[in-house]
Amino acid sequence: MIGSNDLSAARERLAKQQEALLIALLAKGPVPAGFDEQRFDVERRALLSKRRGIVRMLGPAVADELGDRFRPLFDAYAVENPRRAGSRAREDAASFAEWCRAAGELSVKRKARWKFWQSN
Amino acid sequence: MAGITDLGVGIGWRSEIDLTVERLPGVDFVEVVAENLHIGHLPESVTLLLERGIPVLPHAVSLSLGGADPVDLNRVEHLGKIAEAVGAPMVSDHVCFVRAGGLDSGHLMPVPRTKDALDVLVANVRLAQQNLPVPLALENVAALLEWPDGELTEGQFLAELVERTDCWLLVDVANLYANARNIGTDPERFLDEIPLERLAYVHVAGGEQHGDVYHDTHAHAVLPEVLGVLDELCSRVTPPGVLLERDDNYPSDTEIASELAAIRAVVDKRRG
Repeated sequence: MIGSNDLSAARERLAKQQEALLIALLAKGPVPAGFDEQRFDVERRALLSKRRGIVRMLGPAVADELGDRFRPLFDAYAVENPRRAGSRAREDAASFAEWCRAAGELSVKRKARWKFWQSN
Repeated sequence: MAGITDLGVGIGWRSEIDLTVERLPGVDFVEVVAENLHIGHLPESVTLLLERGIPVLPHAVSLSLGGADPVDLNRVEHLGKIAEAVGAPMVSDHVCFVRAGGLDSGHLMPVPRTKDALDVLVANVRLAQQNLPVPLALENVAALLEWPDGELTEGQFLAELVERTDCWLLVDVANLYANARNIGTDPERFLDEIPLERLAYVHVAGGEQHGDVYHDTHAHAVLPEVLGVLDELCSRVTPPGVLLERDDNYPSDTEIASELAAIRAVVDKRRG
């Protein structure tokens, strides 16, 4: 059994390690000391690819409109906007579409049509 | 409690294959991803399986038990409520972290195998256990990279975790295979080092080799080599259950049925 002070100190040290790892993997921070750089790159690409796949699945219309530009644009967006803890994948997809519109890469959103349950 | 015995062969229930899971022969139990279910709104298909007496085990992916922060009790509470809603004998998550420094990795990240990380993991697991209505099993993850300065092997790390928390183990043989290919873990040594009497059940999944990296995709066929690791495990202990995970690129019912049959054949061969 370890004391609560020891545990708090362990949490702090671990937090620094884990934070540095995620910043490096998700936001192109420097690779922390001791990691294999080649493996690091593999992990970085795997995480990016998973995130891109989820956003493509959740927003197929955006991916279709962007065509070949989807991948490079998403990858640029992702590094600038690592996913925040507690955020949802759907928010990520919406925020990517917004980012593309702001960059003039995507047509401005059409006005949503009234859904039947909103009409009178 | 005595472990859960004789779950048999199962499959991960996913909404995309709900009808498949319902009509497949030889599905003895299922797992549901706890984060995808809502209290009071269980999918009709899950209710149907429960009515048939099929055990439904909630599997969580977001507790981040290996994370530096104290475990989020709202997430633990949700998992516990799902367990109660489906009458589950056990719940599970992974030995991993998914959040740090305000960021979400989007995937199950390995923890450093250090004393610090073990102490934090143990504290988080105990807190989760105190707030769960049923026992907790923890799963080994597939890692693409290795933390420096590991003080323990993965097997030793898990053995210590069990010793200190009395948790159960969910051994994923596809992750073991992936780690053998990608970071040089020795599956036999892993199986020698973990307390097999605390084995809750086993995961099997498919993946794909890309150049020199094996990706645990859950979207491709199960490799014979992964069934080989299952066979190695079964030579040491009869697993209480073995479950196939398929999360994407769903094949025909026939293909899924044949993967389940192949799993059952390995388990039955060793059972004698």
